[in-house]
Amino acid sequence: MTLPFDWYPVFLREMLLFKHKLLRVGYLFSAMVAPIIYLITFGLGLGRYVTVQGGSYLTFLIPGLVAMTSMNNSYAWVASSLNLNRLYFKTFQVLVQAPLSSASILIGEILAGIVKGLFASALILIVGHLSAPSFAVTFIFTVALLLNCFLFASLGVIVGMRAKSHEDTATYSNFVIMPMAFLSGTFFRVDTLPPLIKAVVYVLPLTHTNILIRKAAMDAAAWISLAVLIVYAFVCFGYGAWLIRNYNE
Amino acid sequence: MIEFSGVSKSFGKVQALDRVSFSVGEGEVFGLLGPNGAGKTTLVKIATLLTLLDSGTCRVHGLDVRRDGAAIKRVIGVVPQANNLDRELTAYENLLIYGMLHKVPALKTIIEESLRSVDLWERRDSVVSGFSGGMQRRLLLARALLAQPDVLFLDEPSIGLDPQIRRQMWDIIRKIRIDGRTVLITTHYIEEAEALCDRVGILTKGKLTALDSPAKLKSQAGEYVVEFIGSDGALQQSLCRTEAEAAEAARRCTLSSVVRPTNLEDVFVRLTGRGAE
Repeated sequence: MTLPFDWYPVFLREMLLFKHKLLRVGYLFSAMVAPIIYLITFGLGLGRYVTVQGGSYLTFLIPGLVAMTSMNNSYAWVASSLNLNRLYFKTFQVLVQAPLSSASILIGEILAGIVKGLFASALILIVGHLSAPSFAVTFIFTVALLLNCFLFASLGVIVGMRAKSHEDTATYSNFVIMPMAFLSGTFFRVDTLPPLIKAVVYVLPLTHTNILIRKAAMDAAAWISLAVLIVYAFVCFGYGAWLIRNYNE
Repeated sequence: MIEFSGVSKSFGKVQALDRVSFSVGEGEVFGLLGPNGAGKTTLVKIATLLTLLDSGTCRVHGLDVRRDGAAIKRVIGVVPQANNLDRELTAYENLLIYGMLHKVPALKTIIEESLRSVDLWERRDSVVSGFSGGMQRRLLLARALLAQPDVLFLDEPSIGLDPQIRRQMWDIIRKIRIDGRTVLITTHYIEEAEALCDRVGILTKGKLTALDSPAKLKSQAGEYVVEFIGSDGALQQSLCRTEAEAAEAARRCTLSSVVRPTNLEDVFVRLTGRGAE
């Protein structure tokens, strides 16, 4: 088996499009507005009166916001771009008709999604550091962040390939991504939830990113969350590759 | 070079193609004519690996579309009916990405040559969304030729262009022909097929209803046509084998009539029952 290294033009294309988008004034603002509102409302406002396990709520909140932001941006970039390119702009045809493997297309798109997720996360981290100077980025934090971007970019490929219209991608966002952002421990500790709700919440991949990203050192819970994220990532990657390989208009 | 044998394709209950068979020889420019919805684009999508056929076989450059997709991608160039350029990227960036995807050697030089050949070098750093329709079609053609494909598929290459720009496109296509590439053009501009194609096939409701050179199709249908306004006010046509036969038909006509040589559009209307643009 040969490794697909032909992903670079696919990735470069997305980066060129990203560069053109970045030059627009409103783009940066739109990427940052929601998490910064959460940071101000929950972290600097409500958070002044709350502590989590003896620590400041802001220090608890920032990793959650980074996980949520990386999820939103990695997912939305890939899902939206792939769906529009497939159904409306037809630019996906150019990739399908080029002599490269479906895995190369997938990897290029996912890497672009990861970059987008990391970029938005970096903006939150900068604001977070200014708000809570004691907050530190650890190795586990970095692994969790990268894995989260990979997983949700892969999920974006699935949605982008399956959605029958651009409105459909919004439906997936409203029923999957948005509830996950609020229920998966971004704003609160999930281990204090009632057992039934906790069982549901632990199925959600973002819950495991939130557990892992807040760990200072690997313990049993961290290893379990890491394993769950890896399994989710593999499943999404495999299904995404299958969808691209079987593309048929 | 391109071979369709008994190709059928349905979308739900709609039979888009019904046992279509024909082949395009090496270096030939072949025109596929037909009204909207006749199945022209579906046929191109099958040959260019975007759509799977239901039955029959399709071979491009001797390669089977079911088994040899990867190899086919290395020998084809496509100008699709719908503009699929990256509108947010510049002309240069569009060709750069395409050239990298197709591993074109000496890419910068090739891009410059390609953009100059379609008079877009001066606009290389302009974003494509600011281009006119004609410029975008020329860029699509330059992109399709970038990897020097042996087989070129042009799906309605001059659709929506004004006559002057269309003729510029024809000049570019004639240059491609001189290079000896095999070209399959779909069009519903009859004069385009007549001006460019060695042979044409006419698709009607998914079936191939005629296949020959434009001259032979006209000859088979009748060398001359008598045109007159019928009692219902509609233009009526009668195809005749010889000029004498046409003159006799015109003489018998009580209303004023015109005799002229048959053109490909007359053949098209007779076979499809519909006018063309």
